Amino acid sequence: MKKLKKVILFFVLFIVLLWACSIGIQAVVRTAQGAVSGRSRVFASVSAEKKNTIDVLVAGDSESYTSVSPMDLWDQTGIAAYDCGQPGQRIQETYYMLKTAFKTQSPKLVLFETNTMFRDPGLLKNVQLSLTEPLAYHFPVIKYHNAWKALFDGSGGLKTSYKGFEIRNKIVSYEGDEEYMKETKDKTAIPEVVRVYMEKIKKLCEKNGADLLLVSAPSPKNYNYKKHNALEEYARENKLPYVDLNMKYRDIGIDWKRDSYDKGDHLNISGARKVTAYIGKYLTDNYSLPDRRDEDGWQEWKEMAKEYFEELNTKLQQ
Amino acid sequence: MTYQSLVYGFAFLPLYLAAYQLAPRKWRGRVLLGSSYLFFWSLSGSLIIYLLGTTVFVHCIGIWLEWLKSEQKTALASAQRSEKKKIKSAYQSRSRHVLAFGVLMLIGILAYLKYYNFFAENVTGIFGNILPFTLEEKKILMPVGISFYTLQAVGYMADVYWGKIRAEENLEKTALFLAFFPQIMEGPICRWQDTGGTLFEGKPLELNNLTDGYIRIFWGLFKKKVIADRMSIGVDAIFGNYTSYSGAMTAFAAVAYTVQLYMEFSGCMDIIIGSGQLFGVKLPENFRQPFCAQSAAEFWRRWHITLGTWFKTYIFYPVSMSGPVKKWNQYGRKHFGKYVTMLGTSAMALFPVWLCNGLWHGARWSYIFYGMYYFTLILLGIVVVPLRDRILGIFHVSPGAGGLKYIRIAKTWAIIFVGELFFRADGLRAGLHMFGSMFRDFHISDLWNGGIMNLGMSRADLLAIAAGCVVVAAVGAVKERGIDIRKSLAQKPVFLRWGLYYALLLAVVVIAAYGDGYQAVDMIYAGF
Repeated sequence: MKKLKKVILFFVLFIVLLWACSIGIQAVVRTAQGAVSGRSRVFASVSAEKKNTIDVLVAGDSESYTSVSPMDLWDQTGIAAYDCGQPGQRIQETYYMLKTAFKTQSPKLVLFETNTMFRDPGLLKNVQLSLTEPLAYHFPVIKYHNAWKALFDGSGGLKTSYKGFEIRNKIVSYEGDEEYMKETKDKTAIPEVVRVYMEKIKKLCEKNGADLLLVSAPSPKNYNYKKHNALEEYARENKLPYVDLNMKYRDIGIDWKRDSYDKGDHLNISGARKVTAYIGKYLTDNYSLPDRRDEDGWQEWKEMAKEYFEELNTKLQQ
Repeated sequence: MTYQSLVYGFAFLPLYLAAYQLAPRKWRGRVLLGSSYLFFWSLSGSLIIYLLGTTVFVHCIGIWLEWLKSEQKTALASAQRSEKKKIKSAYQSRSRHVLAFGVLMLIGILAYLKYYNFFAENVTGIFGNILPFTLEEKKILMPVGISFYTLQAVGYMADVYWGKIRAEENLEKTALFLAFFPQIMEGPICRWQDTGGTLFEGKPLELNNLTDGYIRIFWGLFKKKVIADRMSIGVDAIFGNYTSYSGAMTAFAAVAYTVQLYMEFSGCMDIIIGSGQLFGVKLPENFRQPFCAQSAAEFWRRWHITLGTWFKTYIFYPVSMSGPVKKWNQYGRKHFGKYVTMLGTSAMALFPVWLCNGLWHGARWSYIFYGMYYFTLILLGIVVVPLRDRILGIFHVSPGAGGLKYIRIAKTWAIIFVGELFFRADGLRAGLHMFGSMFRDFHISDLWNGGIMNLGMSRADLLAIAAGCVVVAAVGAVKERGIDIRKSLAQKPVFLRWGLYYALLLAVVVIAAYGDGYQAVDMIYAGF
């Protein structure tokens, strides 16, 4: 019994140690986000945002942060949005990404790009993610553990990111069938693990007073009518608003010759701006999100927007 | 799922431990067996049929051999003295045939799965023009761990044949002996005497075993994730594009790969042995400070010990005691004297051992070369003993003199590094090219003039590798002095002991190469 008590004490102290390291490392990455590299950086970046300055969180995989440009949205509507997607984001990561963001932000809307909802890495990877993500959430030292390397390798520096968005001006046209949304009654299955985590995401948004909006970004490579049917059914059953931009890409003005970044997978800056304009209108028509442009305390956003349009002009002239 | 994954250590193991402990004692063996099959299935899916088939087959061969033994006993009991020799010989011959059938079947399956394509490729390459048929290469799927459990199975049958053990009557026990999940991917290659009896005992979990087991697992993770997985970045860069690197960088690659392989394989062994310990199962050690070896032969007594022991027990000794070798001994002593006879005997017994050692690692000429490399060096080691002793005698130096030890260790390191260079190289031709480059194009300054720093490992990575190696070397030095670290730590003040454990745990959490910027690295030996 004495030995068991010792073992318990050992683990309690270890947890305290991990917790203390987590607090320390969070303080470091908040001031030096360059110390965090790769997919974890967006967690550090969103945590470093000034408290309660994000009204719309854009979540999902790479389709999310290549389709919505927060600075264009700000310029057109005054809505303060932030792209917190990750490349190849899994649904468990989406959930803990949102939990991380909700720690310091009170967004009124979570705009969730739906491509993640068809990603199922398999049983073992799902078990692993369901273990590692909560661990990394409670003990950020796990997520940011590689930050120690910056001490010796120097900070990787921050890529120019405008609230999670980067200006990608490359054009690699989509040459495939423009009628990729061919009507059918078939449906692609949404993996069970996604349904479980979507339920958690819904509850999390409810608890934090945020609406949840499902959006499918235009992407011939990732979307088809079967997925549209599945998402529409899911949205209907769960009483969630759903906008499939693949069904409206002509209305939005997407030209697959000019607006694709990589053969119909992601949008480039031109496509993203068109989608953002459409989403901006949709949001102002359907939600009462504040226009922050004339409010005090949003100087950083105004300056960032200025920088954004300067870089945009430079890149567009290239 | 691999042993170093979080799912294994913190989902799979705790779940199995709980199921094991909650089960009634007589069911615990079955829990372990079920867990092992589930683990195997998660890795190899329907290929589990090979393991199941091998298990039933080996079990039947064991019982058959045991039955022949009891039949022989009964026949001898009622036989006349004059008939006894005849009966004995008849039963021995039958037993030998049964054993040969068992061994040939298992080795045949392994050979087909592992070597068929190698055989087909070489036969077609050499005799393609004169053969009336062509041997097509096939897409063959191999179950994980077949090289390990096949050796265990052959060892079990041979031990029953030799009467070292009695054949197991309970199929579940034979099954667990072959399939025990911590060892199924990378060994250690156990003999029945090591684990056969204890696996099915269903001993209750003990706190000491749990704490010691998990500490050993973390120690293994430290070696694998802090050092080996980092080193693999640089190693892969050089071996993957070897023609672009100079001799100095090739020499660095040989050393780096040796370090990677040791940290990776011995680290996985720590995880495996630690996992066994959680359940109160003592698996045999596979490493004993191999870099303290003073000769190639000694290195192999310290490196992958269970494989060496297997070859010694089931190939070296039987060949040494075989008819042709005995005949050579008699003939050689008469005609060539003791020394030459001993060399001949050694060569005859060592050749199949090292050929099999090379082939066991895989169907590649570079592996056969690797086996022959050690065969030549070990035989050479035996050849030069009289000459070495004579030279040392001239200079009045004892062979055991202290300073010579370090020269021998340095020589052994060189042998190991060159061996691992061929072992890792992408084929024998690449190995020879890399080996040659160390003599053609060696500029030591290449290492620091951008060489090492351009391999994809950052300054921090190199620092972590260096610090990790220092820690592992220090622990190895203590163990080499015969000190039991865990016992010794148990006597130290709690703050020191816990401080070291926390340092280990935190090193794995913080410094390990996982997450952003790192790819999970597969276990090297699981591929053999």
